[in-house]
Amino acid sequence: MTAYLQASGVDVSFGGLKALNDCGFTVQQGKITCLVGPNGAGKTTIFNVITGFLRPGAGSVSFKGQTLDGWKPQAIVAAGIARTFQNLRLFVDLTAVDNVLASMPAQTGEEPVAAIFRPFHVASAQRRRREEALAILNRVGLIERANDFTRNLSYGEQKLLTIARVLATGAELILLDEPASGLSAGALDGVMALLRRLQDDGKTLLVVEHNTRVVQQIADDVLFLHQGHLMAQGTPEAIVNDPALAEIYFGGTI
Amino acid sequence: MDFWFSYIALASIYVLLGLSTNLLVGIAGIFSVSQAAVFGVGAYIVAFFLMNDTMSFLPALAIAALCCVGLNILVTLPALRVSGDYFVVTSFGIQLLATAVFTNWTDGTGGANGLPGIPPPDLAGKALESSGEVVTLCVAGMGLGCLIFWLVMRAPFGRLLRAIREDELAVAAAGKSVLRAKVSAAALAGAFAGTAGGLYATFLSFIDPSSFDLDSSILLLTMVVVGGARTLAGSILGPFLLLALPQILTLVDIPTTVAAAARQLIYGVLLIAFMLFRPQGLAGEKL
Repeated sequence: MTAYLQASGVDVSFGGLKALNDCGFTVQQGKITCLVGPNGAGKTTIFNVITGFLRPGAGSVSFKGQTLDGWKPQAIVAAGIARTFQNLRLFVDLTAVDNVLASMPAQTGEEPVAAIFRPFHVASAQRRRREEALAILNRVGLIERANDFTRNLSYGEQKLLTIARVLATGAELILLDEPASGLSAGALDGVMALLRRLQDDGKTLLVVEHNTRVVQQIADDVLFLHQGHLMAQGTPEAIVNDPALAEIYFGGTI
Repeated sequence: MDFWFSYIALASIYVLLGLSTNLLVGIAGIFSVSQAAVFGVGAYIVAFFLMNDTMSFLPALAIAALCCVGLNILVTLPALRVSGDYFVVTSFGIQLLATAVFTNWTDGTGGANGLPGIPPPDLAGKALESSGEVVTLCVAGMGLGCLIFWLVMRAPFGRLLRAIREDELAVAAAGKSVLRAKVSAAALAGAFAGTAGGLYATFLSFIDPSSFDLDSSILLLTMVVVGGARTLAGSILGPFLLLALPQILTLVDIPTTVAAAARQLIYGVLLIAFMLFRPQGLAGEKL
């Protein structure tokens, strides 16, 4: 059986620093897989490789049996993989619903020719898209903020909006870069419940997360990255309770 | 020609240029200081076809617009590789190059002496001789330009351009082609500038390199900054206000030799003052 997402032998170097060193793992379809490891372990770097933002020096990534090597970010999103960014990268001068609309795939009127010559067609297509965008906002719990400018949203709301934006791409494999960091306890529970709901809807999630409580609650599978290499893969219990990994993760104080 | 007619026709032409500059600089974030060069190419092409009686006005205008689409894509291509401040330098070089060609290619452009005696525009075989007809044509051109700008900005294309100006990487992560959107914006801006050039050449019946030099490019930027970046209203307000300035100066009793310098000075002061104290212009959004 071919793996859903498979990385094998991925090397990435920044100058003399090996950010990823023979990094390999698999992600199973329909599961929430958490990617953990100390700072600088290469978690965000592997996201950049999977989504085509960074070309690895060696190794390859395949999705549903198809290699993604050399693909542009655009083609990878079209294949069904989308990501969020740790620093959000929202369009803060656009409204929440426009952020979602801007992330929806190929739309009529996204180039000037149709916009100029078929204005009524474009407008009616946009009305339908807007309904879909509002439904996505509703799903992440931001429907009341749909027409507010993104810069006026709270940090927690902005994090939810990044999730709404990846949902808008229609991707089936969603890579989330620290969706729970910096959130209050209440907001944290909301995000965890949302991730569970996405899983129930058939999405596969690969999540970079630091908070061990979150990992234990949502992860089906945990990947432990250290110095750009996969140290261990297993259930949350097995990973969290492994004293050797805790030593690496917490710097030997435990 | 009556002062009001001339003012309205010229302002209409500059609104088209304002739309072009606003689209490129304000909305797509490609900071070009060579829009006057593209404007000039449009003007010279239409002048060439009409003076040699090759074809009538509308086809000549269409060819000029198309050439400027291609040219503008070509000159903004470096913006897709080098970003922000570096592109300004590249664009500055393109403008200087264009001025050098306009001034020295005497066979094609008449050199520094310019091209006099460009025939008036004609529609359906009839030459538009009266100033009223020419003004109507210019205003119609402006109206069409404004309509196109409005349609494009309210469509998903407008939203995509705004998103790109905010965060290109995030747009790429959403699976969009940043390159294609920027090239489309450059194409549209080129069509606007080329059309404005054709109207300008036939309206004045005389063109020379001084209308298409660096000062003119800066004037276009000043119009966008004063009027307001990224909005239709700003693109209309800027040209109408700044073109009124020379006329207002004629009311003040100063020698004509000083007037030209005074005008440049006022443009410069306006540009700096607006950048400092009201970056959103009179009717725009923050640049």
